[in-house]
Amino acid sequence: MAIFEFLTPMFVFLIFAGTLVGIIFGAIPGMTATMAVAVCLPLTYSLGLDNGLALLLGLYVGGISGGLVPAILLGIPGTPSSITTTFDGYPMAQRGEGEKALRIGIVASLIGGLVSLAALFFFAPALAEFAIKFSYVEKFLIIFFALTVMAALSEDMLLGIFSGFLGIFISLIGVYDVTDGGNGQYRLIPPGTEYWLESGFSLLPVLIGLFGLATILEGAEAGMPKGQSLKDIEVGAHSRFSWSVFKGQVANLLRSSGIGTFVGILPGVGGSAASILSYTATKTSSKNPDSFGKGNPAGIMASEAGNNGLTGGALVPLLSLGIPGDSTTALLIGAFTLQGIQVGPLFIGNNPMTWDSMIFAMLIANIFMFGIMYFAIRWLAMVVAVPKHILFPVILMMCVIGAYTINYGIMFDVWTLLIFGIFGWLMVKLRLEVAPFIIGFILGPSAEIYFVKSLESFGTLSIFFTKSWIAMLLWVLILGSVIGSALLARRKSRERAAGTSG
Amino acid sequence: MKLTRRTIMALAACSTALIAQPFAASAQDLPRNVRMVIGSNSTGGDTYQAASIVADALAEELGINIKVDAVGPSEAFKAVGRDSRGTTIMLHHDQSYLANLYGVPGNPDPFEGYVVGPTLTINPGNAYLVPKNSPYQSMDDVLQAAGDGERVRVAIQPGGVSEIGFTAMRNAARMASPGSEENIVAVNTGSQSDKNQAMFDGLADVINGSIQANEQFAELPEDDQKAMRFLWITATQEALEQGPEAGVGNLTREDMMQYAAPATTVPMSESEPFTFDKEFFLIYNQEMDPAQMETIDTALATVFENEELNQRLLDAFFIPDYRPMEEAAAHLQQKRDDYATVIESLKAPAAQ
Amino acid sequence: MSELLRVTVDFDRSHLIFPTLIGGILILLGLAILLTHRRAITGAGAMWAETLAGMDKIRFFGTLVLTIVYFLLMVPVGNLWPNTGLGFLICSIPFVALIGILYMHERDARGLVPMLIVSVVAPTIVWWLFTYVFALTLP
Repeated sequence: MAIFEFLTPMFVFLIFAGTLVGIIFGAIPGMTATMAVAVCLPLTYSLGLDNGLALLLGLYVGGISGGLVPAILLGIPGTPSSITTTFDGYPMAQRGEGEKALRIGIVASLIGGLVSLAALFFFAPALAEFAIKFSYVEKFLIIFFALTVMAALSEDMLLGIFSGFLGIFISLIGVYDVTDGGNGQYRLIPPGTEYWLESGFSLLPVLIGLFGLATILEGAEAGMPKGQSLKDIEVGAHSRFSWSVFKGQVANLLRSSGIGTFVGILPGVGGSAASILSYTATKTSSKNPDSFGKGNPAGIMASEAGNNGLTGGALVPLLSLGIPGDSTTALLIGAFTLQGIQVGPLFIGNNPMTWDSMIFAMLIANIFMFGIMYFAIRWLAMVVAVPKHILFPVILMMCVIGAYTINYGIMFDVWTLLIFGIFGWLMVKLRLEVAPFIIGFILGPSAEIYFVKSLESFGTLSIFFTKSWIAMLLWVLILGSVIGSALLARRKSRERAAGTSG
Repeated sequence: MKLTRRTIMALAACSTALIAQPFAASAQDLPRNVRMVIGSNSTGGDTYQAASIVADALAEELGINIKVDAVGPSEAFKAVGRDSRGTTIMLHHDQSYLANLYGVPGNPDPFEGYVVGPTLTINPGNAYLVPKNSPYQSMDDVLQAAGDGERVRVAIQPGGVSEIGFTAMRNAARMASPGSEENIVAVNTGSQSDKNQAMFDGLADVINGSIQANEQFAELPEDDQKAMRFLWITATQEALEQGPEAGVGNLTREDMMQYAAPATTVPMSESEPFTFDKEFFLIYNQEMDPAQMETIDTALATVFENEELNQRLLDAFFIPDYRPMEEAAAHLQQKRDDYATVIESLKAPAAQ
Repeated sequence: MSELLRVTVDFDRSHLIFPTLIGGILILLGLAILLTHRRAITGAGAMWAETLAGMDKIRFFGTLVLTIVYFLLMVPVGNLWPNTGLGFLICSIPFVALIGILYMHERDARGLVPMLIVSVVAPTIVWWLFTYVFALTLP
């Protein structure tokens, strides 16, 4: 059989090692799948193409999945794509259901990974063909749809939306980057701070500042109340995981995996948008959307199936157009060119063996990811039992490393962490909302590029409605999401009124 | 495997040698740990590859560690500008001075306030393409169309390497028929995928691309929406001649020559065609010890005589292009001045 | 109608379009908040007084001060041994230890010893991993 030419013990071992290291990177707040792949890229030169790719794909799958661990247990997203996992995972962990939440997340991750892999294997060229129908206009509308989740996530609609727009506004600080199609001019930089702010605030330090440092500051403010004990983690039957939580969630899992895959296929929409979009879609279509954000398992499923769906999706444009679907797959291009292999529309036909080995590597990596995480859960969940006076300083140190290394050694990123840690603490005091803020911050730059470029290319506002049937379909989704949030807000305020009068 | 070598290095480094190092280093010696910052944020792109291939060879020759950090142009200039001890050096390509010539904020002039060091290698891939069914068969057709008053939209990333060929087109159009350069207009986009997408969407007639990234699109059949055709490769004949004969994909070296000067010419002046080789070179802090620069130069001369490095570069479609520091600085200064003249003259309103 | 929707974008000024739009929306939303949340805004002074009174000032401001000192020292210390990451290592050990002591409730040997071991071991492992295995730059 031809597959045994690449399916050697070494190949399998490298996938295992890659997945394990990837999970560790993903689980450390501030370290991402992209960074895991970047640091191991030089190793692949000596490993050869198939084995090198085995390692990198393992890192990729592991890195994307590992982010759910701190997201659920500590409320700190390990990677930007696991932000939406914190919304429901952390409340569950606080209720003592951390272990259950982790298992749900891992199962959803596996499903997302496998669905997207199937999509990659069977439909890659056709999907790539469809993806190039998405011009600036459609991409803007997709981002816009993802942004509508801001409203759905808000406690107080007005303050939530304000926070979201504030997030967008702050994400625009700095240069209008030429590498994204901007004109390279500065804006919104206070005079005298150009030296530090010319590239604006980086996403990762902002993220770990808002979620990591701010949480620690709140703990310090409250005098570091003692943490959960080991007993709390295993209490009661209500925390026991059972497969029945997935009952009625098949549609959710498939939709979220599909959305994740599709976002991966669209170059330039960005990895973190995958889980945000699938979370939005699930919440919008749910019968009781107000249970989201308070520990609804369906939220974890949507988020994790979505971000793992990205893995197969992002390889579609890479292998069928030579264009990376996200920042991690951009690095894989480096691995190919180092070996003198071209990636482009003819890649799959010209390199059937490499294509097969990549599919196998992804499949095995997903299985290892599930195996490693599923059986490590018991130990992982004990993190919560580590006393805070040991856990918090170590997390702080890890956040600093993550911030410093994300852009390969820039000290301002570490200060960004502090600035947004304090800002995150202030936001809670001012009743501004962190979740819509970070979603605005993540999506702001792409929203800008696609909005401005749509107008620049087509010269009329009507293009947003008339470009294509895809655009119109996206408007239907956007309206659905907005109306859904408005109804939800009205019901909430009515309940509140009823609560005060009664 | 490298991992074990790194482990041994780690143990060695943990020993006293490392602690004693700042006191022991003599003038011409480079520090034991050098950081090479590059003018790109991507660790998957050509700048990072060129840097890591050269840094590996250089580190081995000098017996030191060199770490490549993809911090991006403005942070790289800042990092190298702060450190005069030779512990930070920068690697970048023509973008460094082109961005300054085009006036993109945050891009200092590398010839002022920094020392421009040896050139290392060339990426000869910069190219312009059209859809396969485009009426333009050659660059002459494009210039002719502009002369006839037809608008030709060219997708580029403004402010650097991607724009310089576009500038050359406009310059050539003006030479052929003054005023017609206004018909060659830029579609300002970002990454390669944005430029391709601009073509698929029918927003651009010509796109900037590269041999490496676009060659497979050129192999597609004409009825495919994604099919492209090379029109112009900006590299010099000398650079292409040194490349591998088999070329890239279906595009052999001989094919490439057909799209480059002198077979395909876009005139820069009456006598000279415009050419552009994307050259990678080192940039040092102005106050760095010249003896250290000398040490790097000597080491580079040795490693570039080594077949292994040259072969590694060629495998990744880089042309070895080592020039000692002084020769390189003069060469790059000349190149910069030539392009500055073209860019400046196009800015002049009198030209219209 | 189509004339009304027509827009021309000047590329050289296109960096201001989106910030202006978002800024405008922010001002409108801000005004709406001023109107609807008047009571909360006028009560802000009391809220802050309450926060300050109820906060564990030593732990809160201690964390801030230690973090700022930690960040300030990392780069200068690291500059003594360039590109080795030692600035991170040397500053992290006391930082982790001091934050740990600050957050502890019963500062006895039973609590202090494991904490101090962690504060030496954790930064060292991390430093070794990042500098040598992953070859990443630390301060």
